Amino acid sequence: MAEKITSYRFDHLDDTLSQLNKEDCAIMAGGTDVMVLHKSRRGAAPKIPKPIIFIDHLSELKRVYQNEKDLHIGACCTYSELLEERLIPVPLKDAIRTIAAPAIRNRGTLGGNICNASPAGDTLPLLYVFNAKLVLRSIHGDRIMAISDFIQGPRRIGRNQNEILAEIILPSVLEEGAHVVFEKVGNRNADAIAKVGFAGYIRINDARIDDVRFAFGAVGPTMVRSMDIEKTLVGKSVPLADADIGQVVAAFGKIIRPIDDQRSTAAYRKTVSLNLLRYFLSMKHYQPT
Amino acid sequence: MIKFTLNGRTIETDASPAIRLLDLIREEFELIGTKEGCGEGECGACSVFVNNLLQNSCLIPIGSIEGADVQTIEGIMETEQFKILDESYSEAGGVQCGYCIPGMVMASAALLSKNPHPSEEEIREGISGNLCRCTGYNMIVNAINLAAKKGDGIWQKK
Repeated sequence: MAEKITSYRFDHLDDTLSQLNKEDCAIMAGGTDVMVLHKSRRGAAPKIPKPIIFIDHLSELKRVYQNEKDLHIGACCTYSELLEERLIPVPLKDAIRTIAAPAIRNRGTLGGNICNASPAGDTLPLLYVFNAKLVLRSIHGDRIMAISDFIQGPRRIGRNQNEILAEIILPSVLEEGAHVVFEKVGNRNADAIAKVGFAGYIRINDARIDDVRFAFGAVGPTMVRSMDIEKTLVGKSVPLADADIGQVVAAFGKIIRPIDDQRSTAAYRKTVSLNLLRYFLSMKHYQPT
Repeated sequence: MIKFTLNGRTIETDASPAIRLLDLIREEFELIGTKEGCGEGECGACSVFVNNLLQNSCLIPIGSIEGADVQTIEGIMETEQFKILDESYSEAGGVQCGYCIPGMVMASAALLSKNPHPSEEEIREGISGNLCRCTGYNMIVNAINLAAKKGDGIWQKK
């Protein structure tokens, strides 16, 4: 069999963090992306260039709990575990059901989807509209970062070598009466990498928009979100006037610049993105979820 | 050393922790019912149970399965549930070349143990991670439907 490599599997998070403080390691949670990324020929072990540190068994990284109105999700929760978890908001569960297929949902983790930082990461549009914050833990303590700052480009993240993504915080998600949608467009219902992902979030107060957020996936190096465009809708009454919808769609038309690749074309992606946005903005009623 | 249970036997191996579970069970233990299709988690031919959960063995580095209970298609062949699936797949004409079938059977068993009376949509969702390139899915869906009926009452037995 293949040559020996160094790997670690500690019983506790503390020891894991101490090791990461000493040595740069490849962090292995579910492995569903890492194993494909480093795949080698049949029968041979994947070529992972650093010592591997296994974290998928660490119970400290699997807790889901409420802290006032915020929801904290352990980064190593698998998708299947989140589907069974009472506290997880329905739109997030709906999004998770569109990810991969049962066997991968039994292994893949929410933290892994974030740290893999794929432009087409399935949960990312939704996490952006939830204003997710990430808890990065090291032996020196916790550091909190907005997901939009953490993800810097395809496979580029703001994690320091000695840190682990420990928790995902969805601020205020447990109290607000927001209407949230998630759409994924792919070639096949299961196991497809998205051509376009879209998440929309809207909170209405007395027929006026209090807060509105949009995020588009797979149409740029990172998720596309614009707080400037979102702000132009605050205070408007719903149903929105055609002119307002047209303005927002046109504004996103300027900043959504997808590429052609093996999965789709730039033109298709842009058209679908703007259609999903237009559909979301044209709804007559928004139901809090 | 990595220690785990494979089809009820305690196993210790000094193979590299990055080796795929798929390669370990096929090469070292010669359990060749588990197939390699795409090697990327998209086809389900390599499906096994890890702690009773359906997983793709091509995506699992064996370092992850320390202490786990792994079952392959060979490990479930003596069960009552397997016999019903075997009969139902034959009767419904659900097998042609057979390459995807161990994975399909694992996915079928996983589905029925969780949901013994699935709708057609739930069956399709249950095997959504398994690709078949020759039989066609309708006959496989029929086979699972038949197995649900024939095996009524046995799916949640240990």
